[in-house]
Amino acid sequence: MKKKWLSTLLVLTCAASIAACSGNESGGSNGGAATNKPDNTGGEATKAADAGDNGFVNGKYSTPITLTTVWGLNENGAIFKEGETIENNILTQTIKERLGIEIKYNWVVTNTNDAYKTKLRLMLSSGEKMPDVVAYRGDLETVNMLIDSGQFMPVGDLVDQYANETYKTGLELDPAIWLPITRDGSKMALPILDYAYNGDHVMWVRQDWLENVGLQAPTTIAELETVMDAFVNGDPDKDGQKNTIGLATGFKNGFNNWMTDIGFVFGAFGTMPGQWNLNTEGKLEHGSVNPAAKEALAKLKEWMDKGYISQDAALYDETAGSELFTKGEAGIMFGPNWLPAWPFPDLKTNVPGATFKAYPVPGGNDGKIGSAGGNPPSNGYLFINKDAKHPEAVLHYYNWFFENTANPQPDSEFANGFKEGYDYALLPDGTLTADIAKYPELFPGLKDKAAPPLFYALTYEGARIPSLYADTHVKLASGAAAETPYEKQEFNTRTKENTDAMKVVVDQKDIRMKNYYMGPLTETMQSKNELLNKLLNETFSKIIYGQQPLDSFDTMVENWNKSGGEQITKEVNEWYDKAK
Amino acid sequence: MGSAINEPLETTRRGKRSTQQERAKEKLSRTWPLHLMLLPAAIITLIFAYVPMGGLIMAFQDFKPYDGMLGSKFIGLEHFRFMFEYPDSKQVIWNTLIISSLKIVFGLIVPFAFAILLNEVRKMFFKRVVQTLVYLPHFISWVILGAILTDMLGSKGIVNSALNAIGLDSVFWLGNGDWFRFTVVVSDIWQNFGFNTIVFLAALAGVNPSLYEAAEVDGANRWKQTTHITVPAMIPIAVVVGTLSLGNILNGGFDQIFNLYNSLVYDKGDIIDTFVYRTAILNGQYSFGTAVGLFKSLIGLILIVFSYRMAYKYAGYRIF
Repeated sequence: MKKKWLSTLLVLTCAASIAACSGNESGGSNGGAATNKPDNTGGEATKAADAGDNGFVNGKYSTPITLTTVWGLNENGAIFKEGETIENNILTQTIKERLGIEIKYNWVVTNTNDAYKTKLRLMLSSGEKMPDVVAYRGDLETVNMLIDSGQFMPVGDLVDQYANETYKTGLELDPAIWLPITRDGSKMALPILDYAYNGDHVMWVRQDWLENVGLQAPTTIAELETVMDAFVNGDPDKDGQKNTIGLATGFKNGFNNWMTDIGFVFGAFGTMPGQWNLNTEGKLEHGSVNPAAKEALAKLKEWMDKGYISQDAALYDETAGSELFTKGEAGIMFGPNWLPAWPFPDLKTNVPGATFKAYPVPGGNDGKIGSAGGNPPSNGYLFINKDAKHPEAVLHYYNWFFENTANPQPDSEFANGFKEGYDYALLPDGTLTADIAKYPELFPGLKDKAAPPLFYALTYEGARIPSLYADTHVKLASGAAAETPYEKQEFNTRTKENTDAMKVVVDQKDIRMKNYYMGPLTETMQSKNELLNKLLNETFSKIIYGQQPLDSFDTMVENWNKSGGEQITKEVNEWYDKAK
Repeated sequence: MGSAINEPLETTRRGKRSTQQERAKEKLSRTWPLHLMLLPAAIITLIFAYVPMGGLIMAFQDFKPYDGMLGSKFIGLEHFRFMFEYPDSKQVIWNTLIISSLKIVFGLIVPFAFAILLNEVRKMFFKRVVQTLVYLPHFISWVILGAILTDMLGSKGIVNSALNAIGLDSVFWLGNGDWFRFTVVVSDIWQNFGFNTIVFLAALAGVNPSLYEAAEVDGANRWKQTTHITVPAMIPIAVVVGTLSLGNILNGGFDQIFNLYNSLVYDKGDIIDTFVYRTAILNGQYSFGTAVGLFKSLIGLILIVFSYRMAYKYAGYRIF
């Protein structure tokens, strides 16, 4: 009796375990089949067709393939026509129809509070399998985690073989574009390109003030001092009061700023603070501890004493500093080409009749010259899974945008925008409009906002040709007429001052000093960055204000090295040796 | 607020032991709606104040967001060691203590005096208007106040222009360490004294008028009445306010300092919270931030318990 009972139990257990095992197996293979099915057929098609093109013939996969991905919906790319979603919309349909590539989203989150980043990181930590392609725009820490996961393939060969000329040219503009994502010589992700030179500085000068004091725009630091002196003491605004200063600057956030920059003074002595510069020995060094910074500080102290820069400069960040210029108190300001769009309109309001013009960044008295900028034109990455059946499809996808939407020719399919009724509409008389508030009937299925199909792309904005923005404005600055849709749009929306400034930027592109360190925070940086930055900013400010003697710079350098700076320099150079 | 809960408890305690349970039962049947009304507050406190305390575990971990709170590695007291060995810690803790002590002391004295003065005002309308006006700055964000103060106290601002007009030199309010502390304390008091003024005025409203009448009969003048009736009536509530604010001794006021400070005043104006912001938040060292937060709370707790005991011993006052 007892034996019988035991054997029944045994049989039962056995059966159960077999069922469980086979259940798992079939489940696994089912899942695999479901995801791989289109790829497999695509793969078979490859064997049938020419071996080299993976089934991609005449700009299209003859048998449609699938690319899996994940996505974080950003605010500007989350406006859909009624019935459309990120998974199924005019762009995914067009891509499927034209390229034979179907984009399949494994998951989609609304990207608030870095939800996309968090989900990606969770996937990484739980060792989940990554989709065929992952787009990421954001912090380098996550970029590094993605690379270090080992799930993605080097893309160097893919680019050589499949990227079209436009993309290749964009990448070749600055080889440093690969630095942040290079591991042991392998390029681990595709950079998503952005417009180049857009953050590089020019010297904006109040043209009416120059005329009032009877001077030419300065080209050297010495000439700049003459002009600033006239701006302080020569009553450039003709109101009979000594109430003006020379240069609008604010260094609350440091000495290398995106606007109201003061870094050019350091550049004129041969260094750039707050970043890693390449020295003559081919090593990276922190620009704030270079002896040249001491000379620049002496110069700035002189300017502070003479009233060329604001007594409150240390309290101002970039925006507050720019107000010195826009309220008509300062006559010179350094910043990007697009300042006429913001914040210079404020100047026109505050000081009617004020005129301003962009001039080249002035050099030092011994010919040294430098301004921060010139960083590689990239604003995100595409990671390709090393197990992807069709890694080359990602490049075909990106190529398509470069060819069709990045700079469409007049009268081509995408000349007016991506699709009528989505991002534009034509009025009966043939004029172009995107004003949905005024013509809601021309945008069926949409409310309040036009839909931007290009923003649904895996590359965030379709494709941007880095040199296009600058080239267009250089062309327009020379007086040529706007021809292509892109040129017309720029011509209609930008001011003449803006266009001329872009030409100044491009003419000076060789003076840019880029930040050579593009890696993640090193271990010592994590624990010591705060201490070191505080030390640098405090000493710099106090020297300029005369609260500490100039020679305290030397003590500061010594302290900086002792408190971790030396170690960080070592780590930074180790990274550079590996990355270059 | 404290005494209302206190009194019934006192009566219970004085009651005879044999009837104590009966009375409690009887009281509950009378007061259960009040307990019910207390419930939402208790639940909210539980959810938002007690449950998140579980996160304190991060202070002892090398927390990585992608590993989560359960998966991160434990490293014991490493962050606390780092905090005390960090070269700037001493300076930062010292700055915090100085700034917050000044704020606590003057934050008590100013509304105390102001409430007494306002209490003497006979015109009800004027009293109400002033009371509201001094309370208003309490609601302005420091992001806005910071910009306003930077402008007003600037080299060409209204304050320095006024100083120059009467023949005094300009003061670099926000760029000179000692003046910076002064500015921070004064602007904080200006922003917040209205709140405590209202608390003190409420205490004064509860003083029995017959006390003043009796004093008058005894020949006490206005000053005597103030020192012998008004001030003693306010002492208990002043003790409460003081005790509670001691818990904030390690809070120098992050929003304020963050919006006003700059690299010129790091040595006199950098406080624990701004330091933690730069080290922990900007560099993603969440564990370190939590460790400092835990340290601050512990000091705060010790101080509250200590001052509460002192208040009980010397002023005979119980809050709880």
